[in-house]
Amino acid sequence: MKESPQNKKLDTMLRSSKLVAGGFMGNDTRSVSEIIDADKKELSRLGLTSEQVAGRMQQITNLAKSGLGTWVRIDNNLEAKTDEARGFLPCPWPHSGRLVKRVTIARRAETSETIQWSDLNIHLIGKHCFFQGKGSAFRIEPKKLIEMIF
Amino acid sequence: MVLTIFTAVAVVSLVGASLAAVLVISERYLNDYGQCNITINDEHQLEVEGGRDLLSLLTTEKIFIPSACGGRGTCGLCKLKVLEGAGPLLPTEEPYLDETERKSNVRLACQVKVRRDLKIEIPKELFAIREYTCKCTEIRDLTYDMKQFRFELIEPKTIDYIPGQYVQLQTPAYEKSSEEVYRAYSIASDPAGKNIIDLIIRLVPGGICTTYCFEYLKVGDQMKMNGPYGEFRLSETDAPIVFIAGGSGMAPIKCMLHHMKNTQNKRKATYYFGANRPQDLCLLDLMKEFEKQLSDFHFVPSISEPGDTGNIEYEKGLVTDAVRKRLKNARECEAYLCGSPGMIEAAIKVLLELGTKEENIFYDKFE
Repeated sequence: MKESPQNKKLDTMLRSSKLVAGGFMGNDTRSVSEIIDADKKELSRLGLTSEQVAGRMQQITNLAKSGLGTWVRIDNNLEAKTDEARGFLPCPWPHSGRLVKRVTIARRAETSETIQWSDLNIHLIGKHCFFQGKGSAFRIEPKKLIEMIF
Repeated sequence: MVLTIFTAVAVVSLVGASLAAVLVISERYLNDYGQCNITINDEHQLEVEGGRDLLSLLTTEKIFIPSACGGRGTCGLCKLKVLEGAGPLLPTEEPYLDETERKSNVRLACQVKVRRDLKIEIPKELFAIREYTCKCTEIRDLTYDMKQFRFELIEPKTIDYIPGQYVQLQTPAYEKSSEEVYRAYSIASDPAGKNIIDLIIRLVPGGICTTYCFEYLKVGDQMKMNGPYGEFRLSETDAPIVFIAGGSGMAPIKCMLHHMKNTQNKRKATYYFGANRPQDLCLLDLMKEFEKQLSDFHFVPSISEPGDTGNIEYEKGLVTDAVRKRLKNARECEAYLCGSPGMIEAAIKVLLELGTKEENIFYDKFE
């Protein structure tokens, strides 16, 4: 499929390291539209929307914030903690707004398996259904995420 | 029919693209804004070549306005008043300016293009800000994710700052970042050493500057920084002091403690340091030295997940729990906080509940 000039520009921005070290695309050779389409299909197969997934991530982050960096019990099987750094990150899509540099780490009680996301991840998933390219520092696999937090 | 539609779309696209190209080329090569005058605070006048953004022009003239994003319009820090000549507010500025600021002609310097004479207002202390070339002379591990970087100033050779202030460190373009970026770090050094700047930096996953410092910066490398900036500083009263900070938030508090020692300040002071695990604690020996050297200083680490703590004396729980348990004279105290927004908000809530006056709570939020 031919990419629009806007998507090409966005793709360039996401592959650059203007906002985060190493960029958002990792070593994924697919275009941003292809990545989004593939993850949308995966979400649909799993029976959830990106808004629902982002909503649950935000809910966990909000609960975890109260722990000031310590583990907070979210439910019987899940605990989470947050870690904040100085500064903000803007969304790489062309719109205004910025997000605090906060990382949430969620851990399953029975397996101790963990998954992490930033506030920017929540925004990118909720608003743009973008889980990032494979190999990027903050790529989240939809299947693993859903298994961990729902 | 299909061919006609295709041709029409192609012609319209071509015309649009040509017009855009003409605009870009004319902006780049034909628009000559000539010399423009920038009047600062009705006192200073700069003559500059028009056409660039105000932030970079002021930087060229060695007037440094705080900016954490290097002029991309994403941090909202480079605010100043433009009283004349700025043109209308841009959509890129709107998210960063509240109603009062808009009415006072506050603008983001990185978004204002200098096309005509400007009249601006900036705080006088910004004239004292300098750019420093420095050399990294020591990298010291403090914890598994935090290091102290020592920089010796090369040009200018000395810096005057107030304990609590910060500098902006310039990260050069490198493998994981295609352009220079600036990040703000509080000064952690002993202010008596005027040619040394120590910075305490915690690794941020995916962070451009912290990744550079942790993985690429080596002893002997040269870097640039500018400063000092910031209003966070000790008052000149005799009120007892409560410091609350964890992680790299220790930097400005450490600097203030050095200053208190140097000036033989006799104020009573307690430092509540929050950590999750024992391995998050650092500089314990230095804190013990301060306890001996200062007339009435106590360091109170609190650990929420103690594990094996050896012989460290600590409070179990959150740093706010320790404050709630041990702070008895909150009404008389001044509190100095540094750390994440979440920690600051929680600490302010506890201090207010304990009776500390709001005007006596000072903080350096990680923003």
